[in-house]
Amino acid sequence: MILETLSTLFLVLGAFFSFTGVIGLFKFPDFFTRVHAASVTDSIATILIIFGLILRTDFGLVAVKLLFILIFMLLTSPTASHALAKSARHGGLLTLAETRAPKKEDND
Amino acid sequence: MLALAATSIAILSVMALALARALRADTVYDRILGVNMFGTKTALFIAVMGFLSGRPDFLDIAIVYALINFIGMVAVLRFFEYTATDDTQNNKESS
Amino acid sequence: MAHLMIWALVLAVFWLLLSGFFKTLLLSFGLISVVLVVFLIRRMDTTDNQPQKLPLSFSFFRYVIWLLGQIALSSLEVTKLVWGSSKKLSPAIAKLPVANTPEKTRVLYANSITLTPGTLSVDIDEEHVTVHALDAQSIKSLEAGEMATKVSSVTGAKN
Repeated sequence: MILETLSTLFLVLGAFFSFTGVIGLFKFPDFFTRVHAASVTDSIATILIIFGLILRTDFGLVAVKLLFILIFMLLTSPTASHALAKSARHGGLLTLAETRAPKKEDND
Repeated sequence: MLALAATSIAILSVMALALARALRADTVYDRILGVNMFGTKTALFIAVMGFLSGRPDFLDIAIVYALINFIGMVAVLRFFEYTATDDTQNNKESS
Repeated sequence: MAHLMIWALVLAVFWLLLSGFFKTLLLSFGLISVVLVVFLIRRMDTTDNQPQKLPLSFSFFRYVIWLLGQIALSSLEVTKLVWGSSKKLSPAIAKLPVANTPEKTRVLYANSITLTPGTLSVDIDEEHVTVHALDAQSIKSLEAGEMATKVSSVTGAKN
């Protein structure tokens, strides 16, 4: 019973953080800040939701599989964000601070 | 059970919003960001869905989806890092 | 040679946990896969002369737990920024020196930076890692170097 309540709490918090991330995706002004918003959903929301699901299992093989999903995601999502930011930087996208500085064209 | 249903609906709407963001983005990198978020949320959604229907076998599919999503991301980025140098604006990229 | 045995053990456990079946046919498939992967690892080792050891140590797990705490804290910061007004946003970009850390540590460091919301490693080369932060404050706390020392305590001593 306690486990189920805890799991519900985790799942709801995870859903909330997912929404936070996607709202940030709409709200933030430039590309690099949007990556930060997306990384909220990638890290904390994934952790919370997977742990919420683990608390609903009988802690056997299913829980181990969930843990594997979590590890995969925690390994791959920063790599993906880094690759994205790096190729955006090499593709010539400027950060907000650089856009506000003298240069006025570029970056929509 | 109610919490699982609520979570799956929440993840589904987050996926829809991310896809909408990807569709009306103005640079190709924004699109990839939205699509990446869509992919990771899909893997989570499959996992939650497996619990909702009482069939945890779905977790295998979720693992495979997470891996494919990562590899697809890296492949698309490799492609655009070397092609979209100057005029990133006029790319019509999807998936 | 010893680390190949560890790899084989880890891979076999991984296979058993993922499949969960103990029939002869499936077990033999697992055996073939493990042997194939260990063979590939050995070939890769002889090609690039960098044996890939698994970071299975107590300090690594302690670091992971510390990192989870950091992720939770900085997620709350970013959440506040998202739901608050976007006027308070002060994105900053800076270069942090990583010149005298070994390569493996550098990778772990950059990945940890990206994994914590609010900071993002944009570019990495031999001397610097370029960090973009949502808040100028988090650049300062990275420069203070708590994460750097923790990371190098995990891997730095033996490589």
